[in-house]
Amino acid sequence: MSNCWWEIIVVCDPILEESVFWRLDSFGCSGTSTQAEDTSYVVKAYIPDIKIKPLDLSALTLWLKEDAISVEATAPEVSWQLISEEDWASGWKQYWQPQKIGDRFLIYPAWLDIPQNPERLLLRLDPGAAFGTGTHPTTQLCLESLEMRFYEEAETLAIADIGCGSGILSIGAMLLGAKEVAAVDTDSLAIKTCRSNCQLNDIEQKRLIVREGSISELTKLETTYDGILCNILADIIVQLFPHFNTITHDKSWAILSGILLEQANQIADLVESNGWTVAALWKRQEWCCFNIRRSEY
Amino acid sequence: MPRKVVALIKLALPAGKANPAPPVGPALGQHGVNIMAFCKEYNAKTSDKVGLVIPVEISVYEDRSFTFILKTPPASVLIKKAAGIEKGASEPNKQKVASITQAQLKEIAETKMPDLNANDIDAAMKIVAGTAKNMGVAIAN
Repeated sequence: MSNCWWEIIVVCDPILEESVFWRLDSFGCSGTSTQAEDTSYVVKAYIPDIKIKPLDLSALTLWLKEDAISVEATAPEVSWQLISEEDWASGWKQYWQPQKIGDRFLIYPAWLDIPQNPERLLLRLDPGAAFGTGTHPTTQLCLESLEMRFYEEAETLAIADIGCGSGILSIGAMLLGAKEVAAVDTDSLAIKTCRSNCQLNDIEQKRLIVREGSISELTKLETTYDGILCNILADIIVQLFPHFNTITHDKSWAILSGILLEQANQIADLVESNGWTVAALWKRQEWCCFNIRRSEY
Repeated sequence: MPRKVVALIKLALPAGKANPAPPVGPALGQHGVNIMAFCKEYNAKTSDKVGLVIPVEISVYEDRSFTFILKTPPASVLIKKAAGIEKGASEPNKQKVASITQAQLKEIAETKMPDLNANDIDAAMKIVAGTAKNMGVAIAN
């Protein structure tokens, strides 16, 4: 059963926007959305239905009206309704179509019928609420980099995927022929989604290990990885990278992405100061992807 | 030819921590925007401001692509920072939990000026002062 949320709708004078935000934030709503409508603002905020009772919403309405009166503004109109996660979580899926990436991959939404004789490696995916659909430039750059890395002896490669999200990169590595993959993510929802996508692609559980956590989980597996995939964010890569040597050997390589172009110099310095070499830097839109290796050549 | 904007949405979100939960999901899902792609870009661009609320104004185009610009933190966040408090008063009409100076009020109004519905600094200060009053934060003379 999906989760339900109270959607609180406040139609107010634009000068009240800041005050309304504060009141909704204090009430326990995490964030607001605002859209202009004629001469008013429509501010929407959300709170899980299990956290409050309808009586609390009546009290909130009174506070919002008192706040307006105290600054001599027109009292806002306040209403609320229960909405289900299903109402929005699947909305964008209708626009997500099969997508070719690189020379070999075809990313394929799980809810579509499987095509007969696909000419590409079919990577079936239901990303749910996890990162990694193949539509983002960083995911595309990582998959294309993977293709380049898997040109020979693929069947011997052990890969680690840090911040696996939907599992798109891990599954991609398996489809390219990796011997084994270990995927970790600190988000429990991503772990659930990754496992589900592994099943969807008939990946053997013993060859693709999925664990909740980060590098420390990989250390526990006592494997030395030939390749590391890490498509997260620059700030997190900065924290994790000094530990890469503990899970790699002197000929290992890594693919790093989730990095904005303006952050590229910082990451290049980090890589080199830890004794790794930048082999290639690929750019797409405002994002970049580092292909790096531990050996000098 | 410029792309046609079909929706202009402002979201107030915790920096570096956007996820598909509300308000992001409902606001963007209805326009067919790839929610996770937005979250990834927002988090990348605000990861150095974790702990603050950083509003973002998103333009959604007819092909469901999007661009966004980051805005100034909400007035209440700046007021709490200036007053050195964690939260406002539960009953602001009866209780004042802190105060800020006129100079601090003006500084906040100047910071917020580009994003407020105000024509001049006096109007901006009035809006910020109103928010402070509703939070139980007094303006010291």
